Amino acid sequence: MSATSLLAIVLILSLIGYFWGRASAAGLKRGGQGMHSIPAYHGYFIALSCGIPSFLLVLIWLATQNTVIDTLLIAGLPAHITDGVETSRMSLILSEIKSIAGGRIFGTPDPALIAAAERYNALRGTASLAMVVSALAVAIAAMSYARSRVSPEFRARNSVDGILRWILIVCSILAILTTLGIILSLVIESMAFFSRVPVFEFLFGMEWSPQIAMRADQVASSGAFGAVPVFWGTIFISAIAMFVALPVGLFSAIYLVEYADKRVRSFVKPLLEILAGIPTIVYGFFAILTVAPFIRDLGTSMGLSVASNSALAAGGVMGIMLIPFISSFADDAISAVPQSMRDGAYALGATKAETVRQVLLPAALPGIVGGVLLAVSRAIGETMIVVMAAGLMAKLTANPLEGVTTVTVQIVTLLIGDTEFDSPKTLAAFGLGLVLFITTLALNIVALQVVKRYRERYE
Amino acid sequence: MSAGHEAKISAAGVSVFYGEKQALFDVSIDIPARQVMAFIGPSGCGKSTFLRCINRMNDTIDICRVTGTIAIDGADIYDPKIDPVLLRARVGMVFQKPNPFPKSIYDNIAYGPRIHGVAKAGSQMDEIVETSLRRAGLWNEVKDRLREPGTGLSGGQQQRLCIARAIAVNPDVILMDEPCSALDPIATAKVEELIDELRERYTIVIVTHSMQQAARVSQKAAFFHLGNLIEVDDTERMFTNPRDQRTQDYITGRFG
Ligand SMILES: Nc1ncnc2c1ncn2[C@@H]1O[C@H](COP(=O)(O)OP(=O)(O)O)[C@@H](O)[C@H]1O
Ligand SMILES: [Mg+2]
Repeated sequence: MSATSLLAIVLILSLIGYFWGRASAAGLKRGGQGMHSIPAYHGYFIALSCGIPSFLLVLIWLATQNTVIDTLLIAGLPAHITDGVETSRMSLILSEIKSIAGGRIFGTPDPALIAAAERYNALRGTASLAMVVSALAVAIAAMSYARSRVSPEFRARNSVDGILRWILIVCSILAILTTLGIILSLVIESMAFFSRVPVFEFLFGMEWSPQIAMRADQVASSGAFGAVPVFWGTIFISAIAMFVALPVGLFSAIYLVEYADKRVRSFVKPLLEILAGIPTIVYGFFAILTVAPFIRDLGTSMGLSVASNSALAAGGVMGIMLIPFISSFADDAISAVPQSMRDGAYALGATKAETVRQVLLPAALPGIVGGVLLAVSRAIGETMIVVMAAGLMAKLTANPLEGVTTVTVQIVTLLIGDTEFDSPKTLAAFGLGLVLFITTLALNIVALQVVKRYRERYE
Repeated sequence: MSAGHEAKISAAGVSVFYGEKQALFDVSIDIPARQVMAFIGPSGCGKSTFLRCINRMNDTIDICRVTGTIAIDGADIYDPKIDPVLLRARVGMVFQKPNPFPKSIYDNIAYGPRIHGVAKAGSQMDEIVETSLRRAGLWNEVKDRLREPGTGLSGGQQQRLCIARAIAVNPDVILMDEPCSALDPIATAKVEELIDELRERYTIVIVTHSMQQAARVSQKAAFFHLGNLIEVDDTERMFTNPRDQRTQDYITGRFG
């Protein structure tokens, strides 16, 4: 029986438990007993008590089963096969046994291996049978135990509440653990990288050419992992993006909040939201198919030489992507300034523009700054647009018409193709990822702090 | 009109509409110079609406439309030649809730003079700030903390800061819309005292919910009811001997 159908049966058992509990409680109630909880809660209690333990059992079983079987297999192998074999070789032996067990036999394998394959199949059969039996046993035992607690005094309502609380706690712990796991794997891989390339050289080196540094003897001497040009590319493109997004987003927010009448607002706001909903890969198309050729033609006609993947095209399109982001933050911040501030300024004889510039913007500044920081962090982490539209060559240039590369682009290219996971080239991706992660995390924390402090001020 | 006071503000046939809804019906009134005129009446009767006509604050509300004429010193303020921005420098306003800008005390006062180009930064501005704060009776309390934010003051101090801010642009008229309704009794007493002093230099129109306050600070009173101006008289006479039944009912607390 497959795990899926087993889980389906457990689910059905839970359902049965629910109706059973509800019916028995209802029976007690009809018998004139004053019940603490309504019958449905007794039903829920039985269903949860029956379903959750066996569900968890199945999950844990599936997670550990293979390791246990492997250990048993290895323990059962004759000495002439296992003697002096290291771990990586052992896993090859194991997969050979498993392919024999699956009927895919190449050449003439050692008879010991064939015997092992038979044992493997037997073990698997036993394991899956044992899983079914124990899961059902747990479900039924739990169900009858829960049923035995159905009584007028039993606080099923509170117990269900307690169980639900535990489910919620476990889910949030899972979310936290996954995050920690991701961070941990990032840190560990980065450590591996930094043990080969010194941190200092990585952070401050001016030369980035990881592709030629494939041979171990080249790494340290050539200094190919100096990431400054890559960081520069990210900073440069993000700066161009903010240069586009900040004024346009801010001014459109000011227009929408302070000048536009209701009809215009109800028309323009959803339009901006559509802009926010466009997948970044579509922006990428836009950048390479429309913006980049346009900039190149324009530049050529003015006698400038423009790279086909110029920083200007990538940054400009990224800026367009960030417009709705900035504008919605600025919109919120400006709208949150109390009407009395506007009244105060108008009553002193300030014009609309003066009121916006001297009263509303200063009052809304923290909120706007928070939004801008979040936008910067998005720009730094943005991948698709730059993968499509920015360059691959790391270059320290301040000319927006040349191509630069970014941290995200480098991570993608380092991990594509050559997937030997312990060469410095691939490990460099994790180093870059760690820097990216720390930067955006810091930006987000600062931004949220700024926004929060601002919120507290007017409430 | 009692003798010796020319009309500073004179309104004739003023009606106000919020969209389709008429909030004020054909109001005509003369407001004498250098006195305190109190607008009283049950809430929603149009006191604030009329007050906001006098400095054209209603222009900032999209759906609001004003008809009729209001003249200050004989000149119609709804004349197309009049710039409402300049008008508001001559007709200051203080609001129900103190609304200092989130700037320093100094900058709150200096804001008006700065935008109207009355004074540049420096000693000239320092002087305006000091004079305004002195007139608002706040100087001694804040003279050592002019660079601290105005929002850090107490409610009563904030309201006097707003009065000082209005005074700083050197207006003739000061409009006050229930200036004490957010203040405690002690702060209220201070502001009322201040209003009494300001009467020497400025024409003051104050909206108030409190009969006692109207009696304490005003010389003239106007009673509004459901968007109509019912009667205007010396405050004392109105409170002792109202002419209209509705005024009598309101003053004696039968509704409101
Ligand atoms: N901005 C506005 N938009 C629409 N109607 C308004 C607005 N301001 C006031 N009104 C209406 O005008 C009438 C008079 O309001 P208001 O002048 O504020 O009364 P008061 O100050 O005497 O309490 C009320 O019915 C109110 O609902
Ligand atoms: Mg009012």
